[in-house]
Amino acid sequence: MYEDEVSYALKVAEELGVTYAEARYHGRRGLTLTTRNGELLGVGRDLSVGIGIRVLVEGALGFSSTNRLDRASIREAVEDAYRLAKVHAKLMREKIEFGEAKLGRASYRVLERRAFDSMDLSDKVLLLRELWKRVQDSVRESRVVVVTSTLTEYVEEKTVASTDGALVASRVPRLSFNYSFVIATPEKGTIQRRFLYGASGGLELLDEWRPIEAAAEEAARLEGVLLEGRSPPSGEIDVVIGSEIVGLVVHESCGHPSEADRILGREAAQAGMSFIKPGMLGQRIGTELVTVIDDPTIPGSNGFYLYDDEGVPARPRYLYREGLINEHLHNRWTARVFGVESNGAARSMNYRSEPIIRMANTYFKPGDYGFEELLEDVKLGVYLKSYMEWNIDDERWSQRYVGLEAYTIVRGELGEPVRNPVLELTTKGFYGRVDAVGKDLHFYAGTCGKGEPGQGVPVWFGGADLRLRRVKLGVVA
Amino acid sequence: MIRVREAAERIVSKALEKGFEEAASRVVRYRSVMVKLANSEPSVIQRWDEVIVGAYLAKERRALVVEARPSRLEEVDRVVEELAGFVSSVKESPLYAPLPEPVEVKPLSTTCDDRILEAMKDPSELAQLVVNAAHEEGAERIAGMISLKYWERAVATSTGASLYEDQAMMETYVRAFIDEGSGQWALGSRTLDKDSIEDVARSAARYAREARKPKPVEAGVYDLILSPMVVGNLMNLVAFMSSALRVMMGFSIFSQRAVGENVASSIFTLLDDARNPQLPGSTAFDDEGMPTSSKPIIEEGVLRNLLHNSKTAHKMKARTTGNAGWIMPHSWTLRVEAGDCSLDEMISEVKRGLLVTNNWYTRLQNYVEGIFSTITRDALLVIEDGEVKGAATRLRIADKLPSLLASVDVVGKELYDIKWWEVRVPTRAPYLLIRGVHTSKHLD
Repeated sequence: MYEDEVSYALKVAEELGVTYAEARYHGRRGLTLTTRNGELLGVGRDLSVGIGIRVLVEGALGFSSTNRLDRASIREAVEDAYRLAKVHAKLMREKIEFGEAKLGRASYRVLERRAFDSMDLSDKVLLLRELWKRVQDSVRESRVVVVTSTLTEYVEEKTVASTDGALVASRVPRLSFNYSFVIATPEKGTIQRRFLYGASGGLELLDEWRPIEAAAEEAARLEGVLLEGRSPPSGEIDVVIGSEIVGLVVHESCGHPSEADRILGREAAQAGMSFIKPGMLGQRIGTELVTVIDDPTIPGSNGFYLYDDEGVPARPRYLYREGLINEHLHNRWTARVFGVESNGAARSMNYRSEPIIRMANTYFKPGDYGFEELLEDVKLGVYLKSYMEWNIDDERWSQRYVGLEAYTIVRGELGEPVRNPVLELTTKGFYGRVDAVGKDLHFYAGTCGKGEPGQGVPVWFGGADLRLRRVKLGVVA
Repeated sequence: MIRVREAAERIVSKALEKGFEEAASRVVRYRSVMVKLANSEPSVIQRWDEVIVGAYLAKERRALVVEARPSRLEEVDRVVEELAGFVSSVKESPLYAPLPEPVEVKPLSTTCDDRILEAMKDPSELAQLVVNAAHEEGAERIAGMISLKYWERAVATSTGASLYEDQAMMETYVRAFIDEGSGQWALGSRTLDKDSIEDVARSAARYAREARKPKPVEAGVYDLILSPMVVGNLMNLVAFMSSALRVMMGFSIFSQRAVGENVASSIFTLLDDARNPQLPGSTAFDDEGMPTSSKPIIEEGVLRNLLHNSKTAHKMKARTTGNAGWIMPHSWTLRVEAGDCSLDEMISEVKRGLLVTNNWYTRLQNYVEGIFSTITRDALLVIEDGEVKGAATRLRIADKLPSLLASVDVVGKELYDIKWWEVRVPTRAPYLLIRGVHTSKHLD
């Protein structure tokens, strides 16, 4: 795939005398269907193809991209990256260097079991129409105000090559399905849900997800929260956190602060910094039950890749291990600064994006508790199953999650629904309270944002349900 | 070299040849340079040169859209041909309305600042300027970015519109660090003025100095002065919600409100100031070839306009406001009307409150009810008895957006042109004093 163009870009860079160059052909072809209340608002076809080039010149890093793939345009792009890096080299206080790394020469493809074009467009539209009908039919007393949904299918193709020998071609198809709905009653107001499915693969994923049935069942449960939900108990209680929230927590307060570029301050004015500072490996962050892994190599995952965008082989990274800060996410620059080898975390959104350190599939390692076992010795507590609102400060220390579907736990049994309970803890406060972890691992899809210009990349985050002791929940004002 | 107007016309013509009854096309040629700064040095210098193509295609009231960054225009032709094959598989769009007939579009009286175009060749002097200005003001280190852009944009439609404009803009933001404190400021502008760029760096450093020894404060209900950075972030959210399609899709506090209803304090006015040539983001025409307009979204507290394209306008029995997006109408550039109070006067009006200089990560529990929180970032200053009495560690603003809008009590007289990571739509905004806002804080 465009190997000649990529090779030509490297040849031009070498002629210019760069320390390092990498060129990446990056293409994406996709189709999106969007509906409101079962009616198709539009069909969108997106197409993005081009080359991104990165060069190191006298310790300064330049990036350039073009979607005109003739030789003159590629040469111009490389020359601009070189020239801009060179004129900024005088401003470098500490020159950028890339560490040695094992580099891939490989090609891999993810194969769909059911290709995107194996289902007629009209049948896809019918599927989305069915969502509206089923959600509408699922409520007893309330009104479903609106249901929206989007089905997106796309194929991402890349060829990454560098002047020090990487050459990796890949093809990954991805499917995502998101829905949202609003349920209302005149007396109780509204409750709103958004949810996203996403994975690499083909239309076979729809059979696995059963999104229509799942959305309808969820709407029925959320109507219960709307009609009967009460404030959470006051005072210190035990809280069982559902895997959906656990996944978000590890993404926000383990994955992001473990990004070594963030630790070094490279994102300080944008996505922020990290409470983790150089030299903190080995420090305790949680109980011994806390192990968080980021693994790009999980087959079928949303964040799947086998080689990163610097050509470095991917592998699982144990970011927190048995409660200790264990490993950071690295590219070849941060690996050099920290004196380690890159663990293959450089990703880019598209051809016009520089590769930066990203998560792939981040999850809390499961334990051995069944769900009932998590509940059984809780005298009074709350089970937070899902969320809508969340945020975390830019050092990834103070975090907040507002429960959407939630229930009281009374003497080991789930009780009445709870409306808008707020879990607001520090990172250490969260991980330091974990005293039991479930055995069933679930993953959730997301698009993670970082970089300037902002880059959104597909990720999974997940874990099992887990239990926190001695938590005081808030409630939405 | 691609000529964007000819390319747009060609795509419309090809679409009609393939059997579509209506077509519109937007072609943008875009060149940009960005210096990203961290630890007071460039972390990367990025440059883009690309052509972005969009097309709206309709047949028998079916609507299809293409968004492409193709390597050749012929690739778009193939996509159009492919989409022609989809028409029989999809149903009529509930939002269908014919493309509007062209009307006269007056160009904006804006010109591209040559200094922006010149600086794109070598922005290192500007990078040095930012670093030096912040350090002279006492910053220990800074992060941030400087971006310079030039683009040509053409829109053609099957109803006969064929429009062209070119624009330039610069954007910079700086985050400065001193001890435990940090401060951030931003600027988005049509012109490149070195003094203004230095002011951004100095403002960030001054706030960092004020925040260098923060102390914890209790969460509770406070009077908040929101800086233009924070106002910009929240007004981006209000503008997002004022898109008529988001109203229809349940992603808006205006979903249960009607135009003409009171939705904010009577001293508050927010405009989509699309024809203000001073503001980056302003434009003469939308993606349907309709002239844009500067109009209030909220005027003296009253919801005056949702943002429409011809489709949403038809559905809601309104008129297009020149905010297409073929599917989703959107704002172009925002302005909050100035008040008559200086920042010092505003501070003197506060008995117990906080000055929030920056925020990030605004998320909603419920868009219809506007239940949200956002976390403060950088300098958070404590105000007691009308004076700044030190800095605080982070809190969250955790409230309802309609309550905030209704509780605007004082509007600043100085306006600032803000654009940064958390203010994507350029916003000209003042400081605002908002009474009785709920805040929250984490447990340890």
